[in-house]
Amino acid sequence: MSQLFARENVDIAWCSGCGNFGILKLIKEVLEELSVEKKNTVIVSGIGQAAKTPYYIDTNIFGVLHGRALPVATALKLSNTNLTVIAEGGDGDMYGEGGNHLIHTIRRDVNIVHIVHNNMVYGLTKGQASPTSQKGFVTGVQVNGVVNEPFNPLAVALSLQAGFVSRVNIGDISHAKEVLKKAFSHKGYALIDILQPCVTFNKTNTYSWFKENSYKLDVSYDSSDFDLALKKAFEFIPMPLGVLYQDTSRDNHFQKHILGENPKALYSVQHDIQKLQDLFNGY
Amino acid sequence: MTLNELKQYNGTNGTKAYIAYKGVVYDVTQSDFWQNGDHEGIHTAGEDLTEALAHAPHGEEVFKRFPVVGKLEENEASVNTKKELNNKKQSQNNNNQQKFQDKPKKDTPKSLKIQIKSLYKQYHLHSMTVHFPIALHLFAAVINVLFLLNPKESYEVIVFYSLFIATIMGGVAMVPGILSWWVNYDFSTAKAFVVKLIVSVITFILGVIAINIYYANPASIYEYSFDGIVYHFIVLITGVNVIILGYYGGKITWGNRTKRVADDSLEAVNIIKEKYEDSTLGSMENSISILIGGAAGTGINTLEKILIEALKKSGYYVFSTKEFMSRVRGGSNTALIRISNTPIYAPCWKVDISIAMDKLALEHMHNRWRKDTIVLADESLSNNGENITTLPIEESAKKFGNIQYANSYIMGVVFSLLQLDNKNLLESISTHFKTDDDNIKVAELAFKDGKKLQKLFSKKISSEDSETINKLHLMNGTTASGFGFLVGGCNMVTSYPMSPSTGVLNFMASMSKQFDIALEQSEDEIASLHMVLGGWYGGARAMTTTSGGGFALMGEGLSLSGMTETPAVIYLAQRPGPATGLPTRSEQGDLNMAIYSGHGPFPRVVLAPGNLQECIEYGYLAFELADKYQIPVVFLSDQYLADSISMIEDIDFSSYEQKRYITKTSKEYQRYENTDDGISPRGIPDFGEGLICSVGDEHDQRGQITEDYAIREQMVAKRARKNDEILKNTIAPEIRGEGKIAIVGWGSTKEIIKEVLDSLDNDDLVQVHFAWVYPLAQEQLQVLKKYDFIVVVENNADGAFANQLKLHDIQVDKQILQSNGFNFFVDQLSEMIKDTLKEQL
Repeated sequence: MSQLFARENVDIAWCSGCGNFGILKLIKEVLEELSVEKKNTVIVSGIGQAAKTPYYIDTNIFGVLHGRALPVATALKLSNTNLTVIAEGGDGDMYGEGGNHLIHTIRRDVNIVHIVHNNMVYGLTKGQASPTSQKGFVTGVQVNGVVNEPFNPLAVALSLQAGFVSRVNIGDISHAKEVLKKAFSHKGYALIDILQPCVTFNKTNTYSWFKENSYKLDVSYDSSDFDLALKKAFEFIPMPLGVLYQDTSRDNHFQKHILGENPKALYSVQHDIQKLQDLFNGY
Repeated sequence: MTLNELKQYNGTNGTKAYIAYKGVVYDVTQSDFWQNGDHEGIHTAGEDLTEALAHAPHGEEVFKRFPVVGKLEENEASVNTKKELNNKKQSQNNNNQQKFQDKPKKDTPKSLKIQIKSLYKQYHLHSMTVHFPIALHLFAAVINVLFLLNPKESYEVIVFYSLFIATIMGGVAMVPGILSWWVNYDFSTAKAFVVKLIVSVITFILGVIAINIYYANPASIYEYSFDGIVYHFIVLITGVNVIILGYYGGKITWGNRTKRVADDSLEAVNIIKEKYEDSTLGSMENSISILIGGAAGTGINTLEKILIEALKKSGYYVFSTKEFMSRVRGGSNTALIRISNTPIYAPCWKVDISIAMDKLALEHMHNRWRKDTIVLADESLSNNGENITTLPIEESAKKFGNIQYANSYIMGVVFSLLQLDNKNLLESISTHFKTDDDNIKVAELAFKDGKKLQKLFSKKISSEDSETINKLHLMNGTTASGFGFLVGGCNMVTSYPMSPSTGVLNFMASMSKQFDIALEQSEDEIASLHMVLGGWYGGARAMTTTSGGGFALMGEGLSLSGMTETPAVIYLAQRPGPATGLPTRSEQGDLNMAIYSGHGPFPRVVLAPGNLQECIEYGYLAFELADKYQIPVVFLSDQYLADSISMIEDIDFSSYEQKRYITKTSKEYQRYENTDDGISPRGIPDFGEGLICSVGDEHDQRGQITEDYAIREQMVAKRARKNDEILKNTIAPEIRGEGKIAIVGWGSTKEIIKEVLDSLDNDDLVQVHFAWVYPLAQEQLQVLKKYDFIVVVENNADGAFANQLKLHDIQVDKQILQSNGFNFFVDQLSEMIKDTLKEQL
């Protein structure tokens, strides 16, 4: 298992015990179990420790700049709708630097799987607060503790009518797998916010902290209830885990709207030059 | 540092002044002798002066004063230069000698010239020898005056021997003089050289005559005989001659260089300058210009559109341009229409007919009138002593129930004034206002009213035959660029709207209904460019449209394109900045940003079409270059080019080769394969068996991130090699004319400069126009070195293109700059060029 997407000879840059290892394993296993073809899969990531994950996966990758994975992933999906497109990054990359892109990508409802590693800190740059850091979190920059209201990605996504909104804890990898698989089958934008600890720079939100302060939504939970989902999105201690909301009626409308019902991969498009000529001659 | 890096430190515009000598770089900024980077008018900072010291009046002890800031790297270019100029230094180390021996023999005339040139530079024979005749002729003349006042024999002897040696030395000095004229100035026929040639020959001949008189008839010196008078005259006149020779000699050496271009502050170019009051150009005699002014939202655009269509139908070549304020309603905008019976592609400042739709327009257009301009306005507008002809415009419009009919009235008047057949106008009106034929009635009424004014306007231009004109297509730069991008295969557009680029976004959006174009409006310009990159990575041919302020946000995206070698095409329609600037007006102010934006060095191309034809060709080329070299390509336009409407001949789109550079990948595929030319075959996902790994970090051939310094150097070199490839395929500037004075321009000034030069009809003037503006290939710029005087015309305040030329060692003698929101106008530019030429050698 999880050998198909394993990349050889890679020097993994994470600290031992990092939550990213779990997420790396999660993604490789899910891709293999879903029989996704590696040559048709692209993982787009920005900058951060989380964003390094695709470098350790044997598939197509496009490593871009901090916060910019979503617009790249959006256009990439349009260029060839046959591709399975994943945008991956951390909470700083996706909710901070990339905040504007988050908002509008959700509005577009592009069919991508949006994987966000949420460890409530900036790991790569050594310990500053991130948009999701809790109030009171003390860092080298936030010397008196964070005072800003933490960013609530699930509520934001729901307010923009995202069709698939979920949160998991990497500490419970089998549950995470279940949810992630559902995200892949959703025909539109799918958000999975993955809680993970940063063992080096966040001594507050540890594995046990996440375990103690979250609970799984059980089978009786109706994920098609939007109002309920919105309510759940504002629950914090404990945080609900699982698929908070899914609108199963979504049907890739974004790409259909732009590319038509039977979209061609754009590399094979050749314009009808005679038609162009006729249009020009009409001037 | 390298020679190229050194060039940046030229001491101008606040930069430090560095010079290199024998591989060491010195900081001379604080030196009194290097103010603004200028040394005695002979040298400029930013250069390697190792060779130059040989003929300096000082030795290398001068460098002791200056702080050392670095070492100058020997690059290949400097090694070659040294080879060419240092034939004498064969006693240097073996390495140099070896290279020199291995170098194949060049064809003789070229190397002979260079050898002589280097010898000349070493011993500067003319400068050495010419001082003898100058001093001695002058001396002879002075002593001769003494003699004439007091005819002592000793004076006369002094005079004769001075004259004798002066004449001989004059002849001697002419030889290296002619040599220098050949090797250094290419037998230039500029005034200074011609004067020197004639005067020195005359001086020599006169000297010989005088000497002969002295030997033949020595006594005549003391007499008022013919011989005596001639002798004394010659002695005195040769004294004057050498002053002239010395003056022009100095002018040749220092003449142009005393005026450092960098010191010129932007002259306030006031197009309202009194002296341009009655300027006309030959071409303006052959065209009629109509200026219509009114508030935004009152239908001027529609009026312009209908009128030019009708005028085209009437058999005229048509050109029109608009200037407008940044508002949707109110204010004052103008539309300029020019017609002619020969092709016309540029605007004029002063107009033949001016029509004001309201009071504000009357004031706004004031500066556009000559004494003989026909000014028409509504009868309600007071006639402040100006020579305004009033018409019942509003009254007539109101008769039909809507003030907007004023537009149709004006059209009717224009046709009447020009004594054209009204049917063409009525056809165009009815095509446009299909449901409302009151417009026709208003136009007919106006046509009748206009007949009374015909006697005011006598200029009549015959039309061209309709068949020729009908074959032409009327469109603006926006539309032409759009067609160019489409024929280049564009199938994805992701943009954030920004004036004046939105026209192309709109055009592509309407085209997306008929062609497979994925089009999406992005949330900001950062997203625009990143979407373009995501698109190309996936196999699309994507572009974005923006203006300067939006492009400013694309810096990191450009850098990402450069590092990941993902193609990108960016349409940048310029407007005056900085910041918000003049949002609806025109300027060529973003060249530096187009060239330099984006951190880290990586290759790119910047194109700047100058007319409709080039908009199409370069639109196509942008995609071709982006795809082939895997680089960002910036296509520079501006509001003037985007919005001006002119005529274009048929284009055969099928003649544009549809090349594509995507490769099908194998399992072993490596995205950044280290190839000889630096271009790694580009694969895309789901096309073959390979995996495409692109990352913004430094990476190895496979695309895996790395910090290995050797791989880093390899990749840096690979990306640089792409630039070398690009340099081999640059498009040379277009040159029109065979004179010695070059008027250099780039982008949208092309047709304006062309009309000016055609009208000035001065064979000395040559137009050199660049549509490919970056990178510039040194070989293609060599052609500029043969001109005696170079003027660079730019619609900006920073002379960015002139600076690019200077970076490539091209001497720019004068710059004509303008930064007032307007494009250049043919009459105004012609005056500016004429003024400039008065200052040249």
